[in-house]
Amino acid sequence: MSLDLAQFHETFFAESFEALDAMEGALLKLSAGDADLELVNTIFRVAHSIKGGSATFGFSDIAAFTHTLETLLDQLRAGKRRVDSALVDTLLRSCDLMRAMLGATQSKQSLDPAQVAALHAEIELIMSISDDAPAPLSAPAAASVSVPTAAAAETRGGWRIHFVPGAELLRHGNDPVRILRELATLGPCEVRVDAMRVPPLAELDPEVCRLSWRIELNAPVPESAIRGVFDWVTGECDLNLEAVGQAALEAVPTPAAAAAPTPEIPPVIEAIPAKAPAAAPAPAEESAQAKSAAPSVGDGGSIRVGIEKIDELLNSVGELVITQSVLSQLAAPLEGHAADELRSALGQLERHMRNLQESVMRVRMLPISTVFNRFPRLVRDLGQRLGKKIELRLTGDSTELDKTVLEKIGDPLVHLVRNAIDHGIEMPEQRLAAGKAAHGVIELSAYHKGGNVVVEVIDDGGGLKRDRILAKARERGLVGPDEELAEDRIFNLIFAPGFSTADVVSDVSGRGVGMDVVKRNINELGGYVQIHSTPGKGSMVRIRLPLTLAILDGQLARVGEEVYVVPIVSIVETIQVRSEQVSSIANRAQVFRLRDDYLPIVRLYELFGVEPQHTDLLDGLLMIVEADGRRVGLFVDELMSQQQVVIKSLETNFRPVMGLAGATMLGDGRVALILDVPGIISRAQSQEPRRDSSQQAA
Amino acid sequence: MKKLKSRARKRADKTNSPVEAVTPAETAAPPSPVPAAPASGRISLGAACTIHEAQALRAHMLEQAALPGPHEIDGTEVQHIDTAGVQLMLAFALDSLERGIPYRWKGRSPALEEAIRVLGVGALLESPG
Repeated sequence: MSLDLAQFHETFFAESFEALDAMEGALLKLSAGDADLELVNTIFRVAHSIKGGSATFGFSDIAAFTHTLETLLDQLRAGKRRVDSALVDTLLRSCDLMRAMLGATQSKQSLDPAQVAALHAEIELIMSISDDAPAPLSAPAAASVSVPTAAAAETRGGWRIHFVPGAELLRHGNDPVRILRELATLGPCEVRVDAMRVPPLAELDPEVCRLSWRIELNAPVPESAIRGVFDWVTGECDLNLEAVGQAALEAVPTPAAAAAPTPEIPPVIEAIPAKAPAAAPAPAEESAQAKSAAPSVGDGGSIRVGIEKIDELLNSVGELVITQSVLSQLAAPLEGHAADELRSALGQLERHMRNLQESVMRVRMLPISTVFNRFPRLVRDLGQRLGKKIELRLTGDSTELDKTVLEKIGDPLVHLVRNAIDHGIEMPEQRLAAGKAAHGVIELSAYHKGGNVVVEVIDDGGGLKRDRILAKARERGLVGPDEELAEDRIFNLIFAPGFSTADVVSDVSGRGVGMDVVKRNINELGGYVQIHSTPGKGSMVRIRLPLTLAILDGQLARVGEEVYVVPIVSIVETIQVRSEQVSSIANRAQVFRLRDDYLPIVRLYELFGVEPQHTDLLDGLLMIVEADGRRVGLFVDELMSQQQVVIKSLETNFRPVMGLAGATMLGDGRVALILDVPGIISRAQSQEPRRDSSQQAA
Repeated sequence: MKKLKSRARKRADKTNSPVEAVTPAETAAPPSPVPAAPASGRISLGAACTIHEAQALRAHMLEQAALPGPHEIDGTEVQHIDTAGVQLMLAFALDSLERGIPYRWKGRSPALEEAIRVLGVGALLESPG
C-alpha cells in the first residue's frame, strides 16, 4: 500500500511555522552567557522536528540545513558551546531562513541557493571553531553515563527500557545517539546493544536502523520523563518500560502498592505496547510515517481542524438559530396547554442554541499572543538597527480574539510598533538629556472591554508634534488656514493618506504610507482607532475591535416595511427630536443640535430608497451613531428588539452595497440588512462640502 | 539469521559480559592494541560519518574489506557521527569477526568515542585480534 504523503504537507508547514515562532521566542529569551537548558531544548526540538518532517517529505534542502543547525544546537545542549549575542543572531537568521525555505517549498517556488549556502557555511564555520570556555547550562548537563552497581536498579529504583527503533527512524532524521544521550541526563544508564539484526556489510542498507537497545536507568524518575525523551520517535519504535524498585512503586500507585512500605516487593512490570510496530517492514514504515506526519491528534488534548470546517459548523448553527427563531414566532399565537409546553420547550431550545453558538464561536478564538509573539524580534532588530535601546512589555497576551480578526490585525500592529520605534522613541542621548531613562519602553496590551477587545500600543517617546502635524496638514490643504481643530482631530490627521511629518524617509517609516492603511484595515474589521499623545511623554494608539466578525450584537430598527440592523457598538443614544434642535443648512440638508455639537442627519429611507412610515423628523427617532470619533443621526421610524445576528456577507451572496456591511435572517424568515456605520458616516461627511459649495454657488 | 546469531554468540563469549557498563574513564582509555601488522585495507572515516555519508562510507568499507587483512580504521578525524555511522562500523566489525580477519584502530576522535559510549557498542568494536 502506498501512502500519499502530500496530504500531510500543509499540516507540516503549519506546524513548522508555529514551531519556528516558538523557536524565535526561545532564542530571544536566551541572554548572552545565561544559557537555559530548557530554552536550548525547545530550540533544538524545533530544528529536530523540522528536520525529521523535511526528510520524511523529501524536502532535502531543508533537511540538510536543519541537520547542520541541529548539530550546532546539540553542542549548545551538551554545554560545549557558549551562548553569545553573535550566536543568537546567527540562530535567529537561521530561523528566518528556515521560514523562507518552508514558505518557498510550500508555494512551490525556489529560494536563492546562495542564501542558504552562505548561512550553512557560517554555521559550519562556527562549529569548526572550538569554544574553550562553555557556559554551564542551568540544568543538569548533557550526557554523563556512569557505572552503577549491578543491583542499583533494584535497590534505589529505576527503569528497564527496551528500545527497538523502527526501520525508518534514521531516515526520518531521528538519531538514537541523541536519544540515549538525553536519556543519560535522567540518571546513570547501563546500555546494552543488540546487534543481532545487523546483516553483513554488503547487505546492509545503512539508512535503516537494525540496532536495538536494552537500557537500565538507575534513577527513580517518573515514567513521563522517560517517555518525554522518546517523544520524537513515538510511532517509530517499540518502547517497553519496566519499573523496578522504588520507581515501580511510584509508577503504580494502587492501594495495595501504597500499603507495601518496603522496596522488597516484586517489581511491577508495565509493558507498554508501542503505538506502531515500527520494527516490522514496509507496512509499519507507512504507519509510522502516517503517524508522524498526520495532523496531531489527541497528544496534547487538541486537534488541528481546518478553519473552513469550523465556518461550516458556524454557518449551520446560524441557520439553526434562524429556524429556532421561526419556530418561536410560529408558536407565539398558539393557545392551550400544549402550546405552553411547546413554548417552554422552545425556550430550552433557545438556551441550548445560544450555548452551542457560543461554543462554536470559542473554537474560532485564539489568544492574541499569536500576534504579539512577533514583536520581541521586531523590537530587538529594529532597536539594534536604529541604535535605540527599547524594552518591550506585553500584557494581556492571553486575550482571545476571532482568528480572522487576529489575522488582519497583525500588519496594522506591526506598522504602529515600527512607527513608535522609529518616530516615537528618542535616541538614548536625547532621552538622557530629557531626564528619561536611556532605554525606551513600548507596551503592547490587550484586554476585553464591553464586548470588544482593546489593543493599545503605548510608547514613552517624544509624543506627537501637534503644531507640526497641523502645519503640515494646512500645507497640504487638509485643514483650512484659519480652521481650528480639537487636539484629537489633529492627531487623527496622521491617518490621512500620504501624511508624514518625518524629516527623513527611512526604510522603516516616514513615507506617509501605511497609517491610512492601518486605519482602513481596522475599520474594515469593524473596529476603530483612537490616538492620544502628550509632548515629551509619549503616545498611545488604542484600537477597539469586535470579538468576532461572524456574529454581531444588533439593534433592529424599522424603516417602512424594512428592518435594518445597527451594530450596538456604534450606537451612542437614541432620541426623539424636538423641532428647535433641527436646522436646515442647504436644500434639504439638515443638521441636528445635540448639546454643543451639530450632527448631520441621514434619512435611511432616502439612502436606501424605501417607502418610510414617517418623513417628518418629529415623528420618528434619531439614532446617534459614532465611528472614528465622528457622529451622525440616523433617522428611523421605530426601534425594535436587540438581538445577536449571524452576519452573512453581501459580497459573497450578492454584491457589495454602499452603506451595508452584510445581511442576516430574522426569526420570521425576512432578510434584514446590517448597516455599515463608518461607511454611512464617511458618505454623509463627504457630501457636506458639496452641499456647502452648492449653497455658495446659489 | 543463524549466521548472525552465531556471530553475536561468538562476540558475547569473547567480551565475557553482554552488559556494556561504561564510564567516562573507561571510554577515555585507548582501544585495545592489536599486534602490529601491515594493514592492507585502510578505512578512513573522515570528519563526518552520518546518514548523509553512509552510502559512500559503506562503499569505501566494502572496497577496503575486499583487500587482505589485517585492516586499519582511522577514526581520528571524526567530528560528526550518528547511529547510521556507528552501525556501519559495527557491520564491518562483525564481518571481520566472522571472517577472522583482524583490524585495528589507528585512533578514535572524542566525538567517535562519545557516540560509541552512548550507544553501548564499545565491546563490539574491539578488534578481534
